[in-house]
Amino acid sequence: MATTTATLTLASSDLLTDNLSLSSTMNLNKGGTTATGLEQMNYHRAIIPTGTNFDLIPESDALKDNSNYVYIVNKNTDVTDYVTISINNEIIGKLYAGDWAFFPWSCDVSAASNDSTIEIQAYTHEAVVEYALFHIGETLVTATDS
Amino acid sequence: MATTTATITLASTDIADNALNISNTATFYTAGTDTGITETTGLARKKTNSGSNTVLLDSGAGVAADVTADKSAKVYIKNINDRGDGTKYVTILLTAVEIGRLYGGDWMLIPWAGGSGKDIEFTASDTTETTLEYAVFYE
Repeated sequence: MATTTATLTLASSDLLTDNLSLSSTMNLNKGGTTATGLEQMNYHRAIIPTGTNFDLIPESDALKDNSNYVYIVNKNTDVTDYVTISINNEIIGKLYAGDWAFFPWSCDVSAASNDSTIEIQAYTHEAVVEYALFHIGETLVTATDS
Repeated sequence: MATTTATITLASTDIADNALNISNTATFYTAGTDTGITETTGLARKKTNSGSNTVLLDSGAGVAADVTADKSAKVYIKNINDRGDGTKYVTILLTAVEIGRLYGGDWMLIPWAGGSGKDIEFTASDTTETTLEYAVFYE
């Protein structure tokens, strides 16, 4: 097993009357275990053209119904640039330049109509995104020439 | 305007041959600008002992009334229960679409394109009392 932590710090000195200072750390563990860390990850950097909604992280039987964690950051710098992140045509939200998201992904493939692939679409300009998937497993494809 | 930042650090010394250390800081701006977001629900807490689907954030109503698809909003949610044996979790959904499972101690931060029917909901895996903490930052 591996030990991977995700730490969030939310901070502001002027959003509220008092300082906002919230910190939270979690271990990325396998579902159904007390403390067995996820052992696999994929890390990508991609340039997303505008005009098309793309599959970013495809659903897979090997990923379903367990612990997977997704991190996506929009590396653009123009504040008008954004990408939409969606699942099954349901837009979760927009990541503007510099924004990131981190969320669990259960990859629910149980319902035929419930495509759980994570999708992305860039607006205004092409978007440079980096994304990571910490996951329970991967569906390996047998080589056709094996 | 206000300046609110969210910093993430993903770290591991043994998930790969070399140490992993990813860190990024986002500043919460209104949509398409560099003007800081000025509204928040503050940190809130929700307890449930129901295994039924429950609305956490009712888009278009209450504190989320101003969160619409064309505005910028960020949602923080944490399951503050103990992890226990790792079999209990809360499923987070956007309307009927399952996003993922927050086990005890897990947190998430996502952008939220609100609007009519775009509720954020949760379903606990059983009737064990579960407590979520959450906050919305929005324009």
